[in-house]
Amino acid sequence: MEAKYDFERKYRKQILQCSRCGYCQAVCPIFGITHRPSFNARGKMLLLKEVMDGKIDLNEELIDTLFQCTTCAACKENCPSGVNVPEIIKQARKDMVNIGSCHPAFTGMNEVLQKNTNIYAEDEPEDFGRERNKKADYVYFVGCVGLYREDEATEATLDLLDRLDVDYTLVDEACCSGVLEDVGHSINTDLADKNIETILATGAHTVITGCPYCYRTFKNKDAYAPLREKGIQLVHMAQFLKDLDISVTTDLKVTYHDPCDLGRHCGIYEEPRQTIRKIAPNFVEMAHHHADSLCCGSGGGVRGAFPKNSLKMARHRLDEALDVQADVLLTECNSCVHNLANAKLRKDKIRIMNTTQFINELMEEAE
Amino acid sequence: MNDDIKKALKEIVGEDNFTDRLIDMVSYSYDASEHSSRPDCAVWAENVEQVSEILKTADKHRIPVIPRGAGTGLSGMVVPVKGGIVLDLNRMNRILKISIEDRLAVVQPGVVYADLDRALAPYGFFFPPDPGSGSVCTLGGNVATNAGGVKGAKYGTTRDYVLGLQVVRADGRIMRTGASTIKCVSGYDLTRLIVGSEGTLGVVTEITLKINPKPTAASTAVATFGNLEDAGRAVTRIMSSGIIPAVMEIMDLPTIQAINQNTDLGLPEVEAMLLVETDGYTQVETDYQLSKVVEVFKENHSLDIKQAASRDEAAVLWKARKSAYAVLARIQTHFVLEDVTVPMGRITDLLRGIGDISKKYDLRIATFGHAGDGNLHPQILYDGYNPDETARMKQAVADLFKLSVELNGTLTGEHGIGIAKASFMSLEHDDVEMETMRAVKRAFDPNNILNPGKMALEAN
Repeated sequence: MEAKYDFERKYRKQILQCSRCGYCQAVCPIFGITHRPSFNARGKMLLLKEVMDGKIDLNEELIDTLFQCTTCAACKENCPSGVNVPEIIKQARKDMVNIGSCHPAFTGMNEVLQKNTNIYAEDEPEDFGRERNKKADYVYFVGCVGLYREDEATEATLDLLDRLDVDYTLVDEACCSGVLEDVGHSINTDLADKNIETILATGAHTVITGCPYCYRTFKNKDAYAPLREKGIQLVHMAQFLKDLDISVTTDLKVTYHDPCDLGRHCGIYEEPRQTIRKIAPNFVEMAHHHADSLCCGSGGGVRGAFPKNSLKMARHRLDEALDVQADVLLTECNSCVHNLANAKLRKDKIRIMNTTQFINELMEEAE
Repeated sequence: MNDDIKKALKEIVGEDNFTDRLIDMVSYSYDASEHSSRPDCAVWAENVEQVSEILKTADKHRIPVIPRGAGTGLSGMVVPVKGGIVLDLNRMNRILKISIEDRLAVVQPGVVYADLDRALAPYGFFFPPDPGSGSVCTLGGNVATNAGGVKGAKYGTTRDYVLGLQVVRADGRIMRTGASTIKCVSGYDLTRLIVGSEGTLGVVTEITLKINPKPTAASTAVATFGNLEDAGRAVTRIMSSGIIPAVMEIMDLPTIQAINQNTDLGLPEVEAMLLVETDGYTQVETDYQLSKVVEVFKENHSLDIKQAASRDEAAVLWKARKSAYAVLARIQTHFVLEDVTVPMGRITDLLRGIGDISKKYDLRIATFGHAGDGNLHPQILYDGYNPDETARMKQAVADLFKLSVELNGTLTGEHGIGIAKASFMSLEHDDVEMETMRAVKRAFDPNNILNPGKMALEAN
């Protein structure tokens, strides 16, 4: 029987390889807050298997589960059978979009990025009082969340770069648009071309990204190949920080949340820890860390489409930080900061911020 | 199922804890076995009163109820073969009490094994059975299946640790069994009867578990054998040496070959590998135990023995055994993972017999498992979309069960009967025993609503 959908053409063997052991339930953030097997990776693979077997149709009834996945890849990391669940889900979402079954929030996201240059459809470009598009060694590429939602974190990061005398420039950013690939659509090459052009115009040898997702997109997606071909170095802020001479320290108890896009998706676990251990000897890991880290609940379009559960996942993660009695929860992703901070209650004394923000604050205090 | 019953269930658990949506019905059709069948609806119970009301309603209308934990079982135990209501207990997941002075923990059935382990760790205690699915399986499921694990030989299985239960009977009445004491001979031991009853006698809503102090030292070694008989003899001689290893795992040649084809571990392709771990509270003690084991290996012509000098080295030795399941799961799209168990003295015969079955039906069967308690896991690989191969797999499974029973063994050491092995029950159990089991079932559940279609309790 000929395959009806691309997900089957590309991933039939992998879907069948799911041995239904259910080990993904231990790490799936959505299962963790709902205890609902249909939302877990195994449940999703079983639904796709039944679609392939002709037992059920791929249709709107499946939106609630197939579009409710942060693509955090914890399941993939823990799958004994080697099933690449996030890639399968992303392909199934594209198939669903093709047949006209898409979560309205995801349709909206695509429409916004066809008409605007950022995910929030904001008109005013942010410059944080700094010159943009100048000649410099480094481009600091902020990313949409840092530009339009977590401006305090960005301001602090830029202050830190200034303190450290880094020769950098901001640019007129467009959304990297990598997220569209996760929500059933495709990367917007017009936006990618615009980014490539503005970055190259600065003459910079390195792009430092504030957002792990932008880093991942620049590093891996075909649309950004010209950047790589021109020999532009691509680093995330966490990698850049690691080699800098930072002498401030704190007695506070600090823990670190691995952003999925930096950790599981790019394998960057140690660099942020090296930096944090230098400044905070009283460093502690949460129950889940490194490749087993729990997702903050914001990825894969879930924050926009399923805000209630997204927030619950953030709370679930924040509880782990509270369990180890951390004073400060550091991470390396504005989107994680945003979601985790939204889950924080007034009574929780913990502070949530990016590493750059924390270092900048310590340096400010030391001055 | 008519709408009135659904409405009644919604009234008991609330709208948010009821579902009859397609996505849920599909996921509740399966466990980790190759079986599937859809329920009519599912409910998430949050307390014992809700469980009681659900059962009253179901009993009145003669609707099947299938209690479910993490759904990691390998024998179709939670597959709703007769439809009905899946009673998901995952949301009853509180650890109610840890009392080190009384040496017990009281938990709800939805607590995940690993979560209890994490909670006990600060006290230096643990709940020993250690099932392979420990990161995800629930303690209610452990009780329902009498789950075991790699440490069965020294530490036993779940049943050896359950002191008492709160159980909801099929008619909704609530009872307590056992006691909060380490010893108890008061009346029939209903606790031990319900442990391993696969949800056919009642719904467990609270569990009192005996806990153990956790050993702090371990010694690990791996030995290779060119001849299966030598490995088999080594296993039985270790048992008579006075040492009971905490772990004694065996892997056969097809398992080793599969690992070599799919990893870079580069294992020696020998007839058998044995991995042994001794545990205790000082390194001197565990090293001494291991030295006795190594002596036995040498006396029985082991080819090569590797001993770990550190925890890291032990992890390297464990790597091959730990990768077995995953490696085999990736070779074919389908497999069955059995758990036949024989007296330790018959392990060699079982492994030879499995080799013959593999040849007879032209199927790849790799076997690994817990030599220390005679519980082996033949993993039979096949293509489930190939009817001929599927038929051969079924015949191979039937031969395997026959072989195990002939060797004075059992159909299942730790996975349970469910639907997968139901038709083989009479191989192992005589008519009188089967009738006694059915009488027990009728006494507990006269209307046969609790997980019907399992364990051959309905025949005759």
